[in-house]
Amino acid sequence: MSEPVAVRTDGLGKRYGSTWALRDCTLDIPAGAVTALVGPNGAGKTTLLHLLIGLGKPTAGTVEVLGLSPRGDAHALLPRLGFVAQDHPLYRNLSIADTFQLARRLNPGWDEPRAFARIEQLGLDPGHKVGKLSGGQQAQVALTLALAKQPELLVLDEPVASLDPLARREFLGAVLEAVAETQMTVVISSHIVSELERVCDHLITLAGSRTQLAGPIADIVASHRLLTGPRGDAAGVARVHDVIRESHTERQTSLLVRANGHVYDTCWEQHEVDLEEIVLAYMGYVPGASNGAPREAVRA
Amino acid sequence: MTWVAWRLQRTELLITAGILALLAALLVPTGIHMANAYNQDGLASCVGALKDSACGGKIGDFQTRFEPLSHLIDWFTLIPGVIGVLLAAPFIFDLEHGTYRLAWTQSITRRRWLAGKLALPVAAGVIAAGALILLLTWWRTPDVHINGRLDNGTYDAEGTVAIGYTLFALGLALALGAVWRRAAASLTVAFVGYFAFRIFVDTWLRDRLVSPLKVTWRDAPPRALNNANIVSEHVVGGHIQLKPPGGVLGGHAQLAVPSGPSGRPLVETLYHPASQFWQLQLAETGIFLGLALVLIAFAAWWTHERTV
Repeated sequence: MSEPVAVRTDGLGKRYGSTWALRDCTLDIPAGAVTALVGPNGAGKTTLLHLLIGLGKPTAGTVEVLGLSPRGDAHALLPRLGFVAQDHPLYRNLSIADTFQLARRLNPGWDEPRAFARIEQLGLDPGHKVGKLSGGQQAQVALTLALAKQPELLVLDEPVASLDPLARREFLGAVLEAVAETQMTVVISSHIVSELERVCDHLITLAGSRTQLAGPIADIVASHRLLTGPRGDAAGVARVHDVIRESHTERQTSLLVRANGHVYDTCWEQHEVDLEEIVLAYMGYVPGASNGAPREAVRA
Repeated sequence: MTWVAWRLQRTELLITAGILALLAALLVPTGIHMANAYNQDGLASCVGALKDSACGGKIGDFQTRFEPLSHLIDWFTLIPGVIGVLLAAPFIFDLEHGTYRLAWTQSITRRRWLAGKLALPVAAGVIAAGALILLLTWWRTPDVHINGRLDNGTYDAEGTVAIGYTLFALGLALALGAVWRRAAASLTVAFVGYFAFRIFVDTWLRDRLVSPLKVTWRDAPPRALNNANIVSEHVVGGHIQLKPPGGVLGGHAQLAVPSGPSGRPLVETLYHPASQFWQLQLAETGIFLGLALVLIAFAAWWTHERTV
């Protein structure tokens, strides 16, 4: 049995000079799940991931990964982590086979047959120079390196941002396949939600360097509603439910709410909302600001 | 980690070996030729016995003959800097290309990674500089018999200073690269900085490293000044600077000292005698190695603590 929580942060913050890249971040990432970390560019996703794997040192707060401190217990934690950095850096003048030899010498748990099997499956020649591969193929090689380490926690930082749609599909397919084979915990950051829905079962949003929404995707989708009705005041709804986004046209008001129980008010028409719309709504939402009302009304 | 460091540094190590091989290809045949000429002309018996004008002529001829080559070889004083800067390149490429993030998320700690990545270029620099020193020292043997080893061109290539130069250039490039993370720019600036510091040491600091000896003389320079490094020389009681500091008074050189009404004036010379060669070498090597150590330690610290 793995721990129920793979990652736990408490008040975690990172400052570069006078700018906070991440502030007051408190979250749990469940073990054995595939969690999407979603937020706009500059929200601190990469900073958070770097703190998890020990590349960065926290300025404030604490972080615990697989029960260990990423910086203090690096020697014990690193063999249990897999990481693919943004733009999947690789030594461009090494062949795939040399890259694997490098990884074999640096990792006690290196699974050589698995690495070569994946490369064969991808139709790549191990003698090929990494620098001559396409972006999608390089991403696959980087993923192969991370997977052949046999990690308990796989961290992927914007793995598909620079890939074309076909390569994205193939990359995420490979992640899904690997998850199905093992009990691995996966964290994937992205600023695009649509492509993650297929792969992830948990979601955490990060905006303004703070977490806003965290939980199983199924619960998130089930608890959010889009309410439309004649133009009017939303105060009645806001008393019971959390209004995430409010928008008005001349005749109509629409509210995106996190429903606390059923919405009984019959003057509102209820619609299901998809995950992308929910996440986008949260990007402009600050919890608790001005008595729970939305920070700003968005004109439709 | 040893294999990994070697594999990631292979290109630069091969280039370094190539540079040394090219030098050997130039130096070995010309060195043999020059040594033969030295023996055939019977110069060994002339060295130190300069009163004989026939000998002076022979030595003059020999020096004129090999002067162009000797001037070319003087430029080899830049090679320790080139090698040092070159060996720093893989470390900076790692930072520039972001591949350190790949390296540091394998199963070894970044402390071990840094140790391997820094130990290899240091070791390679010491070996390459050592080979260069041996090659140039052997090549210059005839010239050293005649002119001694304190002339800047010879001094810089013999003894141990070139090891210090190489590691200093390496350290400077590593320190700049750790902060700047741009290989081409860091290496260029490091080489310029290295060259500027070498000029400062060659023209100013070296004369002040070891306290010089003093000799006063009239008429002809005393034997003690043979192959010595002249720090300063002036007429006693006057302010006539006879020779700019930092030069070497060659074995057969004569000073054109103006005659006064009371005969030739008394001259006071501050100098490093040939016997202080090793004292000077060790002091200068110590300075360069000390700076190299500080710079490499800084590069390691900055990368360990500040690089994300």
